[in-house]
Amino acid sequence: MTLATEDARPEDQKDSKGVSFAITDEQVDRAKALVQRIVREPFTRRPWMELAFFLVSGGLAGVGLAFIGATMLTGVVLAITFFGLAVLGLSLRGARGLGRWQRDLAHNMLGETIEDPGPFIRRPGFFGWLQSVLRDRVAWRSVAYHAIKVPWTVLGVYVAFSLWWDAIFGILSPIFWHGNGGPNMWGLAQGIFLSNGFGNGPSGFGHNLGLFLLGLIFLFAAPWVMRGFVTVDKILLRALLGPDPIAARVRSLEKARTQTVDASAATLRHIERDLHDGTQAQLVALAMRLGMAKEKLEDPEPDHVDLERVRQLVDEAHRGAKEAIVELRDIARGIHPPALDIGLEGALATLASRSAVPTELNFNVHARPTPAIEAIAYYCVAELLANVAQHAQASRATVSCTQQGMWLRLVVRDDGRGGARLSTVGSTSSGLAGLTDRVRTVDGRLDLVSPPGGPTVVTVDLPLSV
Amino acid sequence: MTAALRVAIAEDSAILRDGLVQLLVDRGFVITGAVAEPGALRSSVAQNPPDVCVIDIRMPPTFTDEGLRLALELRAQYEGLGILLFSQYIETRYAADLLADDAAGIGYLLKDRVADVSDFVEALERVAIGGTALDPEVVTQLIGATRRSDTLSALTSREREVLALMAEGRSNGAIANALVVSEGAVEKHVANIFAKLDLPVSGEDHRRVLAVLRFLES
Repeated sequence: MTLATEDARPEDQKDSKGVSFAITDEQVDRAKALVQRIVREPFTRRPWMELAFFLVSGGLAGVGLAFIGATMLTGVVLAITFFGLAVLGLSLRGARGLGRWQRDLAHNMLGETIEDPGPFIRRPGFFGWLQSVLRDRVAWRSVAYHAIKVPWTVLGVYVAFSLWWDAIFGILSPIFWHGNGGPNMWGLAQGIFLSNGFGNGPSGFGHNLGLFLLGLIFLFAAPWVMRGFVTVDKILLRALLGPDPIAARVRSLEKARTQTVDASAATLRHIERDLHDGTQAQLVALAMRLGMAKEKLEDPEPDHVDLERVRQLVDEAHRGAKEAIVELRDIARGIHPPALDIGLEGALATLASRSAVPTELNFNVHARPTPAIEAIAYYCVAELLANVAQHAQASRATVSCTQQGMWLRLVVRDDGRGGARLSTVGSTSSGLAGLTDRVRTVDGRLDLVSPPGGPTVVTVDLPLSV
Repeated sequence: MTAALRVAIAEDSAILRDGLVQLLVDRGFVITGAVAEPGALRSSVAQNPPDVCVIDIRMPPTFTDEGLRLALELRAQYEGLGILLFSQYIETRYAADLLADDAAGIGYLLKDRVADVSDFVEALERVAIGGTALDPEVVTQLIGATRRSDTLSALTSREREVLALMAEGRSNGAIANALVVSEGAVEKHVANIFAKLDLPVSGEDHRRVLAVLRFLES
């Protein structure tokens, strides 16, 4: 035992040393890779494409800004006339188009795909058009892009060209190392990046070697500096020429609203169908039987009354009335579950205890969700438990309802055969797809994990309030 | 009693279908077919032609106006076949489609009307022999929607009652019974109505219905 420990200790030390060496090797490898990358970068395609993009898109932006500036100025000067307003409108329409060109350039030259911010929606008539144009956030954002892009391009081009220029002359300076050639040559680069003093310094081996090394550093640094400029440009493109985050939110809300409206129309249709096919038909049949019984009892000759038949009719009517009451109760429960009046926990407990598959409820929510959320949570659990009973062939199920910050998390798990899916056609899935839509209307989400062979776990996250 | 009237039923609700069969058999009708969807009625009528069909408007597959389209189709195909449309709602539009060119052998009733068995059976018999049976609800809606209300206001309230019953397709005798007056009095009211509304006088009940309905629709 003792020996073993004695042995083990130096081993440990050796190990720890080995590990630290290994890390160093890794670091060395990484450093090598980095150096390789830096050395190769100027000779790959990418920095040149980025430079080309910067020049082309910058040039386009310059022309674009000149157009926007000129037309806006004209428009504002002439604003008291229709003509001025029209020019202002055209200016903004142009800004929108220029934004699209910039997006296309970024896509074709940098492989950077920026989503279209959506089409221009105009109202009818000249003033409708003008109003739509003046309120077109996409156009105004494009104007802002051009206003920022042009000075940024000027700065970028200045810096990039200084770097390339200085790099080339720095590297070539030893060739011109005869007499005073160097400093004269530097006159060209003076005042750009290399300091005046350096450029005008005494010619000599040390001076030229310094220039050469500095040129090398500039050569390899240039692509990265350019990339920095392009990266900032990409951020600008995304922020100002991509979809407006507010507009995107509005669109998603509009979609959710459409879904809500459709869903409530479908619900009403469903209730109408249930009433029409169920309760109304029951009541008509009931009235019909009572009508028949009444006529039989009203027979002018009392001896002919077939009491047995009358009793049978009344019996059928009685049964029909009871069935109609049950159906009506089910429909009413479908409209608003009365169980929710006592709170979500009680309602879910009722659902769990009524489920055909033995179901355990785990409830841990402190805040009370808004009624709409409670109703959605209730329907989710009801629908999911009905699915478990119908399709899962499960022996047990658990429902957990917990609060996670401002969210309500429902998890319904069963030990059935799995294989449930969200989007296929058929009775197994349409319910789940409907639930997903319902949950999405309040910005919630529904996740389904159901490998073949089970278990199936459905997780629904709902905000506590809408 | 003459030969029993033969009835075919198309109604997708089993409860109502069974109830109707029970009621009509009880009243001595012969049921030639009781089916749940349009296709089945088509073949039933082809195999065993009835005097009158009772057709639910909402039937599979789309549960909208299958029954109405089936009714128009059967009428075009079988001359003299009575059609009683049977529905939980009254759509004046459907009545207009149904009565587009003829009111003979046409009925359109709310399902509720079966509760008054005798009235219902009477209406069915009327349709079977080429008469008309419009639900009071249809007539009320037509009168409510008509643009000729100023002309209608020239009628006395009794005359308006007679007009409504006439529009339902009832004969003078039936109107007299309903209003508990003599048939002679009804005839006088009818003559007054036709004069005031400037309608062509016609002896046959179903032509009379059409004339009144055209007046209300115009």
